[in-house]
Amino acid sequence: MTAAVSPVETREEQTAPSLRHRRFLTARVREIIRRIGFIGASFLMAFIGWYVISYYITGPFLIPPPSAVLRAFFPMAESGELLRDIGMSLSRVAIGYVVGTAVGLVLGLFMGRVRVLHDLLDPIVQTTRFLSPTAMIPIVIIWFGIGELAKYALVFWGTVSLVLINTIAGVLRTPKIRQNAALCLGASEAQIFRLIMLPSAVPFIVIGMRLALASAFVSIIPAELLAADSGLGYLLQQSSLLLQTDRIFVALVVICVVGFLTDQVFYWSTSILLRRYLAVA
Amino acid sequence: MDMRTDAPASEVSGRAAPRRWGGPVFSLKGLLKVFGHDKPYVALKDVDLTIENGEFLCLLGASGCGKSTLLNLLAGFEKPTGGELLYHSKPITGPGRERVMFFQDANAALLPWQTVQQNVEFGLRLQGLLHNSQWRRRAEECLELVGLTEHRHKVPSEISGGMRQRLQIARALAVEPDVLLMDEPFAALDAITRRRMHEALLDVWQREKRTVVFVTHDIMEALTLADRIAMMSVGPGSRIAHLIKIDQPRPRNPGDPELGRLFAHLEHLLHGVSPKESMQ
Repeated sequence: MTAAVSPVETREEQTAPSLRHRRFLTARVREIIRRIGFIGASFLMAFIGWYVISYYITGPFLIPPPSAVLRAFFPMAESGELLRDIGMSLSRVAIGYVVGTAVGLVLGLFMGRVRVLHDLLDPIVQTTRFLSPTAMIPIVIIWFGIGELAKYALVFWGTVSLVLINTIAGVLRTPKIRQNAALCLGASEAQIFRLIMLPSAVPFIVIGMRLALASAFVSIIPAELLAADSGLGYLLQQSSLLLQTDRIFVALVVICVVGFLTDQVFYWSTSILLRRYLAVA
Repeated sequence: MDMRTDAPASEVSGRAAPRRWGGPVFSLKGLLKVFGHDKPYVALKDVDLTIENGEFLCLLGASGCGKSTLLNLLAGFEKPTGGELLYHSKPITGPGRERVMFFQDANAALLPWQTVQQNVEFGLRLQGLLHNSQWRRRAEECLELVGLTEHRHKVPSEISGGMRQRLQIARALAVEPDVLLMDEPFAALDAITRRRMHEALLDVWQREKRTVVFVTHDIMEALTLADRIAMMSVGPGSRIAHLIKIDQPRPRNPGDPELGRLFAHLEHLLHGVSPKESMQ
């Protein structure tokens, strides 16, 4: 060090004397930046590919370029029609999902706990889960008409079995050792269920609920395509009839974005609220 | 040995009062355990064993010889197929907190969603004793006994494997058990941690004077810990082949020539009890 060292540098020298290269960012921050970078790169790649295919392969009618989609988007957003359709679809997803999850969860806990109930109902669950919500549309329309109830029923169908199956698995996979440990500490059967099995099943239940959330979005669109006068599926259907490919792409992109955001909200809120139960020891 | 066997069942879960029962803690006579119906497997046959109050007994044997089965029978997780299985002169009908089992897999045995302290208090919570200040103090004592007081707000995934095993000890002691049943508890730990766990366990055992039944396949571990070693023959149809009393004072040094002699003797016995021989 020369005598002309400024006071600031001297202070730095004192606080971190052993580090030759000072890191301005912690490893965690650098990891986050890296991930954001890759997400950006991924979308950039997709957009470039989209442009190329749109202009040089299919032509802008079959696949409108991002700019055309954006041009279609703004009037739809400003008029409020897009927001209304999103709201309708989301409300159907929300109601069907909440009811489906609640039924799947409660039934799953009982089936995981009571062996007779499990053996009696499991064959039904294992066979009917191959009926996708789309397969159920015709009969659901006959049963419930084309009103809201039919949409809730279809979303319910798309969510209930996923939550059910994962909840049963979670209860059944509670480590035997953990149950035995609680037994010799004096736990009753009811306490084993409430204090051991239920918390041990939480990671499975959360996975089931997350899969069911995606399934709820997948279920609602076909239902709205076939029988609805609002919602994102209805928007797709109307745009298709009028050959408005740009509006179709707006709806498709909106489904991606809304689904992704909902999933992220679910993921982060469960990760934070249920952190202890999800931690793999 | 004073053979008074007058411990009433209610005292089995009796509290802080020091245990002064006469007679053995466990007595097993002609114990038989068969698994399965269609293709029965005789795991244990003619097991005779008496475990005295306050004793540190090691069940030693090769893998698959039925040590864990025997321990599960003592805990009440399994029911005997035949013979006599008594705890303080009464047949064992199921698990109870006077006989607490300690598992090798601490991750599975502990509650990963609860803090160290909550794990220790878990047994008290089950009994509805958590709000009794006397019991709470007991739980805190147990944490201190195993040296985990400063980690009490962490969850099990945040502490080391050795600490988790100490946490299991604390959790077991908090409900004031009469007997600690330990199923190869330290087999998954590294040698240094294992050595420390042996010291910690002996320290706790000497202070608390519980009966310990400790399953291991490691001769040196048995020699370091036990008052008596019950060596099991190789299955099927295992029994207690040898009972060896270890009188060496503790702490025992692995370099002690007397232990070396015992080691050689035990190793000879372990090999001597080959399947062929025991079939005869």
